[in-house]
Amino acid sequence: MGKEGSPQITQRTTRSSSSATVANNSVKTTKASDSHPLTINDLVFGEDPISLNDLLSSFPGRRIHILELVRLLGTSNSPMLPVFMYGGASSGKTSIILQMFRHFNRPFVYSSCRTCYSPRILFESVLNQLLLHRKNGVNSYSSAKRCERPSDFVNLLREALSNVINNFKGNAGKLGTKKLGGQVDGNMIYLIFDNLELVREWDKSSTILPFLFNLYDILKMPEVGLIFVSNTSPDTYYSNMGYVDPIPVHFPDYTEDDLRQIFMRNQANRKLYSSFLDVVLRPFCRITRRVDELSTSFSPLFEKYCEPLSDLGVVPNEETKRRLFSHLQPHIAPSLNEVFKVSSQSSPEAQSNKETKKKSSRRKLGVCEEIDELDFHMSTSAKYLLISAFLASRNPATLDASLFDSMGGFDSRKRKRKSSQKSLEHKETAEQELLMKGPGTFPLERLLAIFQCLTSVAEGSIDEEEQGNEGLGVQGGEGGLMSDVLLQLSSLCNANFIIKGGSCPLEGSTRYRSTVCEDMALKVARSLKFPLSKYLYRR
Amino acid sequence: MGRVNPAEEALNLLRTRLCNPSFVFKPLSDSPDSNYSKLKFLISSSVTEACNNSILLLGPRGSGKIAVLELVLKDLLLEYPDMISVITLSGLLHCDDNSAFKEIARQLCAEHQLLFSKMASFDDNSQFMIAMLRECGLAHKTIIFVLDEFDLFAQGKQRVLYSLLDAMQSVTSQAVVIGVSCRLDADQLLEKRVRSRFSHRKLLFLPPSKEDLQRLLEHILSLPVDSTLPHDYAVEFNSKLQNVLADEKFKQIINTYMNSDATVNHLLKLLFRVVSSMDLGSGFLSLENFKTALSNNQRQPKLECIKDCSILELYILVCMKRLEIKEQNSYNFNSVMKEYKSIRDSFQTSDYYARNVCIRAFEHLLQRELICFTDNRGHNQSVEFRPAKLLILSHELHQGLKSYRSCPAILLKLMDREV
Repeated sequence: MGKEGSPQITQRTTRSSSSATVANNSVKTTKASDSHPLTINDLVFGEDPISLNDLLSSFPGRRIHILELVRLLGTSNSPMLPVFMYGGASSGKTSIILQMFRHFNRPFVYSSCRTCYSPRILFESVLNQLLLHRKNGVNSYSSAKRCERPSDFVNLLREALSNVINNFKGNAGKLGTKKLGGQVDGNMIYLIFDNLELVREWDKSSTILPFLFNLYDILKMPEVGLIFVSNTSPDTYYSNMGYVDPIPVHFPDYTEDDLRQIFMRNQANRKLYSSFLDVVLRPFCRITRRVDELSTSFSPLFEKYCEPLSDLGVVPNEETKRRLFSHLQPHIAPSLNEVFKVSSQSSPEAQSNKETKKKSSRRKLGVCEEIDELDFHMSTSAKYLLISAFLASRNPATLDASLFDSMGGFDSRKRKRKSSQKSLEHKETAEQELLMKGPGTFPLERLLAIFQCLTSVAEGSIDEEEQGNEGLGVQGGEGGLMSDVLLQLSSLCNANFIIKGGSCPLEGSTRYRSTVCEDMALKVARSLKFPLSKYLYRR
Repeated sequence: MGRVNPAEEALNLLRTRLCNPSFVFKPLSDSPDSNYSKLKFLISSSVTEACNNSILLLGPRGSGKIAVLELVLKDLLLEYPDMISVITLSGLLHCDDNSAFKEIARQLCAEHQLLFSKMASFDDNSQFMIAMLRECGLAHKTIIFVLDEFDLFAQGKQRVLYSLLDAMQSVTSQAVVIGVSCRLDADQLLEKRVRSRFSHRKLLFLPPSKEDLQRLLEHILSLPVDSTLPHDYAVEFNSKLQNVLADEKFKQIINTYMNSDATVNHLLKLLFRVVSSMDLGSGFLSLENFKTALSNNQRQPKLECIKDCSILELYILVCMKRLEIKEQNSYNFNSVMKEYKSIRDSFQTSDYYARNVCIRAFEHLLQRELICFTDNRGHNQSVEFRPAKLLILSHELHQGLKSYRSCPAILLKLMDREV
């Protein structure tokens, strides 16, 4: 086979490539990746344990909450009542609880209700971890036990937990008081359920949620500790079926000082970054205080901030700070309006293109101006379909006859009426209705009719511009752009540009609704050089 | 390892006590007219007289029904060994008859060392149960069925209840059915045919009186004087505890706390927090522990959410409040943006952000559950067009704004003016 056949060391072996290699090679690779079978000691965090001070210093602003949790969890042999940690998104709950278990060096079973998106997967994940079962190619990635119902789960869980706890007691007896690194501390085991708020949207949530909260009472095992982590407070879980409330621990969002401490960590040049934060932190905190959103906005801004500096290690004095601030200032306001946008990585050619464009066009400060072009590619027929859908949603059906005359072209008889008081009021209420109701629905036939009208107009102009150019694949006549239009429609539906609305009450056929906003439709029309504003029902 | 800090040992002891319901409910069961004695009398009489019986234990969640039942069963198993077997079912887990009978069969097999087959069908399981009932009746063994969350068994067709009670009546059996429920009207939920086979005995579990509560606190929190703990430490701990318990402020704290929920379990949660916050340096409980535990337990979730909001999100909330005051029955994100724009035009605030930023802030508010949509996933509309509403009251919003650090004055003015 030679070198070409065998996969590179840095790539993961896909199934096809590993089956393409020589037989004994593939057997070796699976054996090597199988590693050692899991033992009880794998239930702990695994890495070197950290001290309490390390834990407290790695989470700025959370000192009180960590200490409260440590006290509630107690020492390694004391039982605990269930604990419910809640707080906003990215406030550190998951990382704190996992690092706490690294500090304690106690065994735990972690399952997130985001990756385990149904009761069966959740139960099997917990059982797999307790039964020390690893899914791999040997057992064809199946779980140790099949478990769908809560009743089976309770029985299997009880069995697995008693096995694990007996193992701990056996281990502790054998080794005496010598504690090696990575050895289990104590005989308690903890179950952590993360992202609990997603369980409310499951189908069986009315039985699963009370079941999870009552799990502690059902199991009646004092060696098991339950910890729930959620984004929303406990009062959002109340339902008809009651349960015993777990002990709540609240994680409030970070204050500005905490955010400053968080962002200052792991920075190469602290003084420089601190002066940067002096400038940007306050205005951005008026929009959001979430760490993940702020960090994605800060990184490009910091690059911009450091642009005038030749040496990134320099400690800025007052004059440098003023210079850097004036350099950054024009970019802060537009960046504020793009806080939540995570821009994709553009290729170097596109970036250089953008820079030349920026030099030529002047950007307005203040409210951000949209880039004039679409930043993704769509085929021409898809663009026409999108515009037709937008028009179909925007204009009432009764207007079609007047907008498109019988030949398919635009009806150029513009009826100019004097706008009376009543019609102005009508227009206002119509606009209000448009705001409230949103885009209307249309049946498929209307969409295709409008599409045909638009493309017949377009083809006339296209033929004039690009004669003999087969670039668009237009074969002449009206069949060209109509081909695959249903395929295009389904891909637009998948991209959520068109969604299925309700069905027509009389006929029962599905109706569609366009979800693009007017700016986007204008952008698309501009790229086709299509006069969209003439067709819009307004003014 | 060296000497363990006695305070730590005491802490572990207290925590173990608090997590152990049998320990907690023992003193409440000592008097002759308590639920414990009545229940014990009933079950033991049906065991000795070889008859069937049924009873309901009713009381709010956390008042110790299962705990007392476990105490009774533990004592009876000691008194009458080999004459009692206990089958436990829960309405949460086994409310449909397939799983209920499977569980009954599994537990019967486990008790009598028979092989349980998971493949057995529903008919097999029910026939097995009837056969076991008959055999145990002939051998003078009583089977006790404990049905937890009894009201959930009474949903739907009540087939499990009916087959169980019917089997008890038709076959020579000695069985006691004990239903445990939090709904005080659980017996009203039964169908006519089930109710006729069920005796109307009920035991109500009421919240403890003030004296009982005092006794309970002493029982749980006093350290034993003659144990592994150092003697003088335990004696000093107990005397300090007595001082705290006799304090007027302490009585006030307990009264305030138990006003919302008077069950024993609720008290246990408070005590757990108190004990966990015990100062390990001094090793004694003080009134401060009780005060901090009380304030930790009295949460106002909506106010906490408001404190977490950013200023843009507060703007959106205030706009929605104003729309509600203007009596617009339904409004969506677009109307909120219109209101936001009009506020900016009339007051010239600097906090004016683009539409996409406001949509994300709107979505953050949805995640925090301060607002929600009024249609249930209807019409597949995008976020901007779905009608929304506030989930927070006007005075909560007001209070939250007042206690917000660096809240822009304009927001308070807008709330107050109610224009």
